[in-house]
Amino acid sequence: MAILEVRDISVSFGGIKPVRGVSFSVEAGSFTSIIGPNGAGKTSLFNLISGVNKIDAGEILFKGQTIHKLHAHEIASRGLVRTFQGAKVIKRLTVAENLMMAVQGNPGDSLWRFFTPRSRSKFEKHARELAMERLDRVGMTKYADEFAGILSGGQRKLLDLSRALMTNPSMILLDEPFAGVNPTLVEKLLEVLATMRKQHEITFLLIEHDLETVMNISERVIVMAEGKIIADGLPNSIYENEQVVDAYLGSRKRGA
Amino acid sequence: MTDLIQYLFNGLVAGSIFAIAAVGISLLYSVLRLVNFAAGDFLTLGAFITYFFSVTLEINFILSIIISMLAGMAICWFLELVLWRNLRRNKAGTLALFLVATGVALMLRPIIQYIFGTETRRFNVDILKTYDFFGARIPQTQLVVLVFATISILLIALFMAKARIGKDMRAYANNPSLAAVSGINVDRVVMATWLISGALGSLAGVFQGLVQGQFNNAMGETLLLSFFAAVVLGTIGDAYGALVGGLLLGLFMELSQLDIFFGGVPSNYKPVVAFAALVLVLLFKPEGLFGYRSRKV
Amino acid sequence: MAGIYGVFSLGLQIQYGVAGVMNFGHVGMMAITGYAIAILVIRFQWSFWWAAFVGVALAALGGALLGLSTLRLSGDYFAIASIAFAEITRYWILNSDGITGGAQGTLAIPNPRGFGGYTDEPEVILTWIVDRLTPYLGDNASRDLAVLLVVWPFFFLFLWISARLQKTSWARVLRATREDDDVPRSLGKNVFRFRLQALVIGSVFGGIAGAFWAVQFMLLAPEDFLRIVTFYGWMILILAGATRVKGLAIAAIFFGFLYGATRFVEFWPISLLSAPERSYLRIFLIGVVLIALMVKRPQGLFGKRQEMVLE
Repeated sequence: MAILEVRDISVSFGGIKPVRGVSFSVEAGSFTSIIGPNGAGKTSLFNLISGVNKIDAGEILFKGQTIHKLHAHEIASRGLVRTFQGAKVIKRLTVAENLMMAVQGNPGDSLWRFFTPRSRSKFEKHARELAMERLDRVGMTKYADEFAGILSGGQRKLLDLSRALMTNPSMILLDEPFAGVNPTLVEKLLEVLATMRKQHEITFLLIEHDLETVMNISERVIVMAEGKIIADGLPNSIYENEQVVDAYLGSRKRGA
Repeated sequence: MTDLIQYLFNGLVAGSIFAIAAVGISLLYSVLRLVNFAAGDFLTLGAFITYFFSVTLEINFILSIIISMLAGMAICWFLELVLWRNLRRNKAGTLALFLVATGVALMLRPIIQYIFGTETRRFNVDILKTYDFFGARIPQTQLVVLVFATISILLIALFMAKARIGKDMRAYANNPSLAAVSGINVDRVVMATWLISGALGSLAGVFQGLVQGQFNNAMGETLLLSFFAAVVLGTIGDAYGALVGGLLLGLFMELSQLDIFFGGVPSNYKPVVAFAALVLVLLFKPEGLFGYRSRKV
Repeated sequence: MAGIYGVFSLGLQIQYGVAGVMNFGHVGMMAITGYAIAILVIRFQWSFWWAAFVGVALAALGGALLGLSTLRLSGDYFAIASIAFAEITRYWILNSDGITGGAQGTLAIPNPRGFGGYTDEPEVILTWIVDRLTPYLGDNASRDLAVLLVVWPFFFLFLWISARLQKTSWARVLRATREDDDVPRSLGKNVFRFRLQALVIGSVFGGIAGAFWAVQFMLLAPEDFLRIVTFYGWMILILAGATRVKGLAIAAIFFGFLYGATRFVEFWPISLLSAPERSYLRIFLIGVVLIALMVKRPQGLFGKRQEMVLE
């Protein structure tokens, strides 16, 4: 069952067209990666799907319902979350707070509930437990009450990912989760991803440049270049695809 | 018909002054991201200094205007060196700039009041002579102002287009980091922006004083929002736009008194027209008339 | 006086200190409530208490109106729009002679019973307080003192409410928003709604300040609500440390001192200046303080430097 359907979407701004006529579907519970040279439109695609930007044409459906007209936060509350290139963390909040903010259904979000402190504090305690548990899984419990600004780049990625996972999503868009992360942390990340897949049947859609990792973990690879999809299929078949190689290396002649 | 001509004329006069003041404000914003709340007071200052030299000291009027422009430039120059440079170095945020600009305004106003007193002043020009044009009253002073203001506007536009420093300013406004690495002297650009703003502010102040016939220390302050309206209308960050925006706003404010607009906006509500225009533009077309968004909107 | 401005600044604190919204038109909320009270009581013969309640509600409505129309804009532009809002309000008050008394102030509001103020009901309480205190304080038991004794407890109450508010997860989301909109959004938080709520709550406090103002001065005029008033509030806010509630009381007192000293202090060198000159001095000093604060110590007395610098 396709959890995400992207139908012929395009967008343009400032004179460039980062995404042109892209269509694909993602099956629930699958693990798909999107690769392509810089500027191919991958992050723009994520921005469109997650609602950060609006599409000019086409449709996007999530769990069978159109989402391209919704605001980003509405899309997120339906179970489609994302991480950010460069791992955005809120530096003025502590690591734990960053995570606690992600727990859905927080009565504290609604101002009326200001007057029911008990339900709020119960939720807060629960949120904190969940946060600590999550931190434990990535080995960062000792940072729980430090300001998130002190984390290193790789740790921020872990935080970014953990935060997305805290929302109990149905599908996550991961934007270059392994970029600039040292190999041990990459292992950790992969572990977390694997566990989440198994336990919660989350669908993953990944943007990545590290081809090796991508080929190892993905079930399916989509290749983008210049705003369009130029290849889509099993990892191995992508390797053999001429167009893909061209896109990555420019139009260099292959072979001898 | 008479009304139409009258309002058109008044609108052009007012608009040309708005245009001059708006350019200064627009430049400051596009180059420095600074919303100059003190702009109005610079106008007042310009008018009063000119008054002082031309009336009290009986120095030639044109010369007085030049002196006041220089004074405006001097103050801006001083503030840039002492205050603004410091803030920029410390990476002051939007709020800091706002409040400091307000602080400057708050300091400037009392100083003007203290030095020059609070009575209403008049320049030593004949404000009563008027021409008759199809029934519309065209005061000579306002006509003269219009002519000179238009000349100034053209000079400004020319300067922005042709002068080296003008082009540098626009380049920097467009993309500061790129400009900096391509060898543009940032400090000079910034200083030039301030000097121009200071000069234009004084000039606009003198013109406004002439047009109003008489003026007091609240003059600049009451006009401040109208200036902002002109800047926004003409697209924030676009100096040419500020010129056009100013003219249009002036026309709009005056013409709104025509009957076709809900029976005519009463004249004491004219500023509200400007404020409303400001809000409406921000809401529906924040890119202003010229359609692009500079920096963040 | 300090108390009133304190409450006023509290509203600003919630809007800026918590939510990062730069509202420079706060004085408009004060004006709305103050004038609403005056009009309702004088013209329509309402009871003061109901009028106050409605007045504050109207201020909240004003905040909502402002927010709904302009919060979409980014910081700089919203700030300008908020000033426009306050000025339009003031202009309307100034020019609607029939309803608001125009430039002459609330004395000129048409009153079916003839001449009259609107503070009859609160006066009863104030006089009661004065009477209770006179045995102990003699002449010092003035009406002003009575107002002070009424306003400050409320101020502290509001401070306490505010402090509690800032510890909630609601406030946490807003604090996150100050740094980055996209992250809370990606977690399902409707950033616009949160900001709007902060704006409205802040406006409520602004309105309450307006109600207190109306009681203190018994007479309102458009000049009471000039643009500059919002900046007094900002000065207090920055002095106190924008992100903390604690310092507001002290900052408010400092402001009150600044304001009052230039008016009432008689000794040298202030006595060199005449009354109007002193008001210039007051404005001048506020400008100086504002600049000095932002240059040297933007975190105020109690704030944390890093939080301000992150702006």
